[in-house]
Amino acid sequence: MRVILFSWEFPPRIVGELAGYVRDLALQLVNKKVKTHVVTYHDYLTGESEEKGGLKTYRVTNPVKTHISVLTWVLTLNQEVERAAANIYYGVNKQVDLIDVHDWHFIPAAVTLKKAFNIPFIYSVESLEDHRSRGANSPFNMAIKGIEWLGMFEAQKIVVKSEWMASEATRLYKVSSDKVRVVTPRTHMWIKAILGIYTSLSERRVTNA
Amino acid sequence: MHNDIKVMMFTWEFPPRIIGGISPHVYCLSRSLAKNHIKVYVVTCDFPGAPKHEVVEDVEVFRIDSYKTPSPDFASWVYLMNMNMQKEAAAIVNKVGGIDIFHAHDWLVANASIGLKHVFRKPLLATMHSTEIGRRNGLHSDYEKMIHETEAWLTYEAWKIICCSNYMISHVKWAFGLPEDKMVMIPNGVHTKDYEHISNFGLNNFRIKFALPEEKIVLFVGRLVYEKGVHVLINAMPKILEKVNAKFVIVGSGYMKQSLSDLVRNMGLSHKVLFAGFLDDETLRNLQICADVSVVPSLFEPFGIVALEAMAAKSPVVVSDTGGLSEIVEHDVTGVKVYPDNSESLAWGVTRVLLDEKYANLLKENAYKKVKETFNWERISQQTKNVYKAVLSGYSQTFWA
Repeated sequence: MRVILFSWEFPPRIVGELAGYVRDLALQLVNKKVKTHVVTYHDYLTGESEEKGGLKTYRVTNPVKTHISVLTWVLTLNQEVERAAANIYYGVNKQVDLIDVHDWHFIPAAVTLKKAFNIPFIYSVESLEDHRSRGANSPFNMAIKGIEWLGMFEAQKIVVKSEWMASEATRLYKVSSDKVRVVTPRTHMWIKAILGIYTSLSERRVTNA
Repeated sequence: MHNDIKVMMFTWEFPPRIIGGISPHVYCLSRSLAKNHIKVYVVTCDFPGAPKHEVVEDVEVFRIDSYKTPSPDFASWVYLMNMNMQKEAAAIVNKVGGIDIFHAHDWLVANASIGLKHVFRKPLLATMHSTEIGRRNGLHSDYEKMIHETEAWLTYEAWKIICCSNYMISHVKWAFGLPEDKMVMIPNGVHTKDYEHISNFGLNNFRIKFALPEEKIVLFVGRLVYEKGVHVLINAMPKILEKVNAKFVIVGSGYMKQSLSDLVRNMGLSHKVLFAGFLDDETLRNLQICADVSVVPSLFEPFGIVALEAMAAKSPVVVSDTGGLSEIVEHDVTGVKVYPDNSESLAWGVTRVLLDEKYANLLKENAYKKVKETFNWERISQQTKNVYKAVLSGYSQTFWA
């Protein structure tokens, strides 16, 4: 199985909790013999590199340097994420089983790649705009919520880290609860549960093909 | 033909959605390419009442969800619209069995076309109709810089950049630091046939809606924005009216509409100026045929399609000597050139045409001939096809092929 993880933060670039989580997840997957690629952002450490244990990381930078908001910053960065993912895809003879996108930033890229290559994706939720900017309904917040909605709508599965987040995802975005899986990070069942979800998606893909 | 080149063209406007010059340009270009055995798929924004998918004269048009959720500002809307455009276009590429070339028109579709270039590994061409640095005469805010850098990104990713005038070639080269061999000049075009079928009898009834019989019609067509120089025309009006009885008809809309009509009122010229707003194609063409002089007083003009339209409609033109207009019009031969941003000079040019019928007729005839020879779409589509072929032959040598 070959998986690409999308995350806007990854060590050495750490913004919040997500960077450490995605690194731990990626290393655990490599341990379990999953061919794992991470596509992430870095100002100047760009291109492909191989980390310890065979984890492959592809860092891109933003082709547009001046921005008016994190929203526009994210939206011009997505094409570089697509370029990196496409380079991985063509480099491995198109054998990519799924994309796991962490939080909203790279959902546009995941959706385009799904339409173009028929690669299913998982939307892994760290946090939602409604909680980050409680009560804020400006066009800026609504645009980010729109991208989160797109991710919920287009993803094959939504993975959340708590029962509370599962109920929030279904409440805020009206996704049916059987699309949502709760996986508590870093417990002894953690990677087994993630792998179970990955395997069910990639197997279904083979059956559908 | 079994080996037709398949081109996917991205544009944020396509008829019936018309905002500026890109819409008619892509409409005519795609139609003439289809006649020249190029299979064109146009991907564009949706429009009320227009179908999601239709075939217009052998051109397949797909209208995508253009993102109607409120956006913080225009540029953010553009990027969000591109997110939808790219998503839908990716599915369309698969549905039509692959595409040979992506062709983008301006930064408004940069994200979608650049992303799909890499995803499908096909060459990207860009036509640069305008630039932010030209429109704003400099970059004054992060917002303008962001758009400028998006344009730079598109020109960086494009295999070839098409511009409609030599002026734009050198402007784009300067603005983004591009090598000359990446640039191709292909002029814009106009269909003279569109202006041929109208009878004189109908026109007199039509003309009376805009001007009194004794008034000459001075026509301006364009967006009411600073760089189009409508204010220069308004400031020239008193000088023109000293010598000729005229009605100034101003067609178009834009953010300066209110301040321009205030200016007209404060100058006591309301009875001499008609703000006609946005007009449909047929009304506009009839008006261009009726116009005793067509004025293009732009301060910045990448090409100047309205000058061509006036020439095709056999209306004498007075243009400011700038940008693409300088190349379209030859002074005293196919029109009159005046100093840009200079009301005195503009008034001189307009009165000269209005007072000398023999001179006006000579300009009209020469201009019409020039349009037929140089700015016809058959020629333009052949030049564009040649660029496609050259790019595909280069592509076949790369590891993407």
